[in-house]
Amino acid sequence: MPRLETIEVAIETGKRALDGVPAYAINGHELEFDEVSGGKGPGESMRLVGSPRSFPHSLTLTGPDSGCWDIEKIEATFHVSGGDPYTVCLGAVTLDEETCLNLWYDRPPQLLDV
Amino acid sequence: MPTWFAKQFGENKSAAVAAAGQQGDGQSAPGPVTPRQRRVIHAPLLASASAVATGNGIRIKAQIDSAEQQVVLMVDRPVLEGYSYWCTSPAEAAKWSPLALALFDSGGVATVLIHENNITVTHQDIGQASDDGVARHLGQLVRGHLESGAPAMAEGFLATMPSEDQVKEALQVVIDDEVNPGIAAHSGEITLTAVKGNTAYIKMGGGCQGCAASSVTLRQGVEQSFRSAVPQLGALLDETDHAAGRNPFFSAAPGGLGA
Repeated sequence: MPRLETIEVAIETGKRALDGVPAYAINGHELEFDEVSGGKGPGESMRLVGSPRSFPHSLTLTGPDSGCWDIEKIEATFHVSGGDPYTVCLGAVTLDEETCLNLWYDRPPQLLDV
Repeated sequence: MPTWFAKQFGENKSAAVAAAGQQGDGQSAPGPVTPRQRRVIHAPLLASASAVATGNGIRIKAQIDSAEQQVVLMVDRPVLEGYSYWCTSPAEAAKWSPLALALFDSGGVATVLIHENNITVTHQDIGQASDDGVARHLGQLVRGHLESGAPAMAEGFLATMPSEDQVKEALQVVIDDEVNPGIAAHSGEITLTAVKGNTAYIKMGGGCQGCAASSVTLRQGVEQSFRSAVPQLGALLDETDHAAGRNPFFSAAPGGLGA
């Protein structure tokens, strides 16, 4: 398991916006992002940067404090120690006050044209 | 919290963090806090480079799994629709699949699984010197076979298939009488979720969900029992979300990041 130094998350919000501050949890411990830019309103995009500097057994994006948060698309870029950064793209999902979203993915396998 | 941040994103989270970090002396303490338990859900993982048909030429992408000594060849069109075919020897392949036989004849192939657009080949040289070279060789072989117009499967293959109900019934007997009693000691359980054609879908629950040995249980235990009961069984697919639930791999220790 690589050590995760920083994670950049680009989120495109759908119809319902996030109520609260964007946050993430690593190994069950909730943290705020170090950098937040862009907008969190419906149809807007924001960019979040976190620096967990830890070995992620679990890494999740925290749901809203209340209501629902419609996410259209997420691009998560992982900066791990001893390797190049890699990006994972996720599709639409809705979070609420009872849920959080898995953000931890291993490096995708390489695909070859053969 | 900067003013612009509070205006843009609200103060709820920081207020909650500060309240949770409040110490006996009334001073707030910085640092992480344990949040309330939330259910972990998963968003669909978007494939960025799967094989998509774009013209007359057959496109094939290969995904190599060195640990399993496997290469998955993803063809841009169906190779075997609605059913799947699994085989372990050239003698079996000679009966039912000219494509599988061609792969076996190329040498080093241990198993072949054909399912929809994918051909999964276990090869003795994967994980050795040049995995890319093996994958390219197998890909060229599959492309050549399909472009020649030769069939992937022999005529009469589908006539040998049991009905889905027969497959379900036979596999459920194995699960009830053999598999689940065997893994009950580990608080595990297997559920047959669906049978489509001769492809079986299962979920692993209880102690099996998220267990590091679940793939061994599946391949060396469940799969062998299933194939003994239903020799025509094709693909056996595990639909278990092994990372779901409340941290099945890991429980956070209080006061630490668990790193």
